[in-house]
Amino acid sequence: MRKEDTVKLISAEGFEFVVHKDAAMVSQTIRNMLTSPVVGSFAETQHGEVTFPEISTTILEKICKYFYWNLQFGKETEFHIEPELTLDLLGHCPFCHWMFEDKIVA
Amino acid sequence: MGGACSRKRDQREGEDNVSGGVSRRYGKSGSSKWLATSFCRQSSDIQLGKGKCPSLMDLCIHKIREDIDKYNTFSMLPRDISQLIFNELVYSQCLSEVSLEAFRDCALQDLYLGEYPGVNDSWMDVVSSQGSSLLSVDLSASDVTDDGLTHLKDCINLQALNFNYCDQISDHGLECIGGLSNLTSLSFRRNSAITAQGMSAFAGLVNLVKLDLERCPEIDGGLVYLKGLTRLESLNINCCNCITDADMKPLSGLTNLKVLQISSSKVTDCGISYFKGLHNLSLLNLEGCPVTAACLDSLSALAALLYLNLRRCCLTDNGCEKFSRLGRKLKVLNLALNDITDTCLGHLKGLTSLESLNLDSCRIGDEGLVNLTDLKQLKCLELSETEVGSNGLRHLSGLINLESINLSFTVITDGGLRKLSGLTSLKSLNLDVRQISDVGLAALTTLTGLTHLDLFGAHITDSGTNYLRYFKNMRSLEICGGGLTDSGVKNIKDLSSLTLLNLSQNCNLTDRTLEMISGLTGLVSLNVSNSRITSSGIRHLRTLKSLKSLTLESSKVTANDIKNLQSNHLPNLVSFRPE
Repeated sequence: MRKEDTVKLISAEGFEFVVHKDAAMVSQTIRNMLTSPVVGSFAETQHGEVTFPEISTTILEKICKYFYWNLQFGKETEFHIEPELTLDLLGHCPFCHWMFEDKIVA
Repeated sequence: MGGACSRKRDQREGEDNVSGGVSRRYGKSGSSKWLATSFCRQSSDIQLGKGKCPSLMDLCIHKIREDIDKYNTFSMLPRDISQLIFNELVYSQCLSEVSLEAFRDCALQDLYLGEYPGVNDSWMDVVSSQGSSLLSVDLSASDVTDDGLTHLKDCINLQALNFNYCDQISDHGLECIGGLSNLTSLSFRRNSAITAQGMSAFAGLVNLVKLDLERCPEIDGGLVYLKGLTRLESLNINCCNCITDADMKPLSGLTNLKVLQISSSKVTDCGISYFKGLHNLSLLNLEGCPVTAACLDSLSALAALLYLNLRRCCLTDNGCEKFSRLGRKLKVLNLALNDITDTCLGHLKGLTSLESLNLDSCRIGDEGLVNLTDLKQLKCLELSETEVGSNGLRHLSGLINLESINLSFTVITDGGLRKLSGLTSLKSLNLDVRQISDVGLAALTTLTGLTHLDLFGAHITDSGTNYLRYFKNMRSLEICGGGLTDSGVKNIKDLSSLTLLNLSQNCNLTDRTLEMISGLTGLVSLNVSNSRITSSGIRHLRTLKSLKSLTLESSKVTANDIKNLQSNHLPNLVSFRPE
């Protein structure tokens, strides 16, 4: 895939996930960051990178998988969530605030 | 916080039927008509795999519900999230006393556990652990006792408490909530242990806006403690037979009252005189009270009155001229089952805002209806069991806003029905009258907006069913006069909006009828009793997946046949006969 069609999401531990922009923009928050007309408000996104210092690698990976699952929703697959991840995903970390305001929880 | 977490704190409003009589919730209704509207608890509102893509949060909550036993606590979650998990467990009936423990100290705001199975005092510790966050609790129909209520003492921010049908709560329990001065809504329906003594605790609930004590038979003398509750807007003491005129006096100063319901009490005209100053009152329910037209003297002072229920009172023509003094805003007037005649109707002429008038079982006839001709706003008119005949119907021709007319058990005949043919706003028409036949039905084909047509006792034959084809929006149809055969059902099978169909008493209907209606997949209720339907015929009903009620009494079908059909094909079927 072409670099300009991707975005790099970086976890708290510094792990980098390169995902399609289409997928990342399932999240309204990321969409806003990438399309914000205010120059300089999200400096790092100009380089196609978003860092989430409060999201662990495991959780960010799950979120990325969700983005792709969301895109192909309607096909007969189930989205698998490990029981031990549910509470973290639901906000056992400051990340929840981000999630609240986001389309992925709407 | 984003929209995802905004809870609709007013979502439970509107459960009360303020405009009607007495609440039927929890009641078993003999009629099948309720099936089309309400039914038992809806299951999960998170429907995975259907329609819209579920959010990641939906998926997580769904997952938690599946493995709820693996979670010890949700107290680390933001409270809006644990609230959503809690709600989901309640909706899906997956919450137990054990899993409730995980919600200890979660700062939940709303615990709606009304009618939830198994709720008792041992749940109350976790309930009260929500502390000052707790805003509303519904424990209706639970086994909670006075001891359980003591837990709520420290939940000082509580705004709404609902303990309907909790028959183990008494005066002692009320003492515990007397200090909850932030309460705005309180409900203790059908409680025979509450007395005036316990009600003294209400005096401290100075912010109370809504109080519901329907069917509490021992509360006489207790309303005196409401005297200082000047914010009270709604008081329901329907069906408290102990209530007398003396109980009305403390209400006279509650000028914020908008809704007052005292049906089936002992209140007389004298008690009503205390209402004169209630200038905000918009709804007054006096059904079944021993009041006469003399009470209209007091009621005429109520300029804000919109709804007045005088059903089953002691009204006669004597003094009925006072109806003309009722507030001009009045929209809904129920005079059913009173001994009033056409003379009384003469005094309703000026109530030109009326949208609904109920004259069921009054002694009125054709001449009286001329007084309704100027009531152009009328949408709903009940004339059942009156002496109204075909001659009277001409007075209704100009009431073009009418949406519903009930003419059952009147003396109208086929010839009069063409007077209704211009009432094209009509949605509901009850013609349960023996002398109505196919000829009358032919005059109604212009009423293409009809959704409900009751021809229960009318003499409709196969040839008459040809006219039914004009009623494409028909949702509810009853034809039970005995004159239908399978060939008439041909004209019913294409009424694809039907949810209720009653063809009982047509003893010539056979399995062929069921075969023809098998395409009416919206049907919720079906009755083909007293017919020749057989066990083999009911296979045609397999397609009716929405069916909740099926009645095939006095046919050749057995209870076992229906049970098999239910378990193999009709999962929504909850009521059937024979059973």
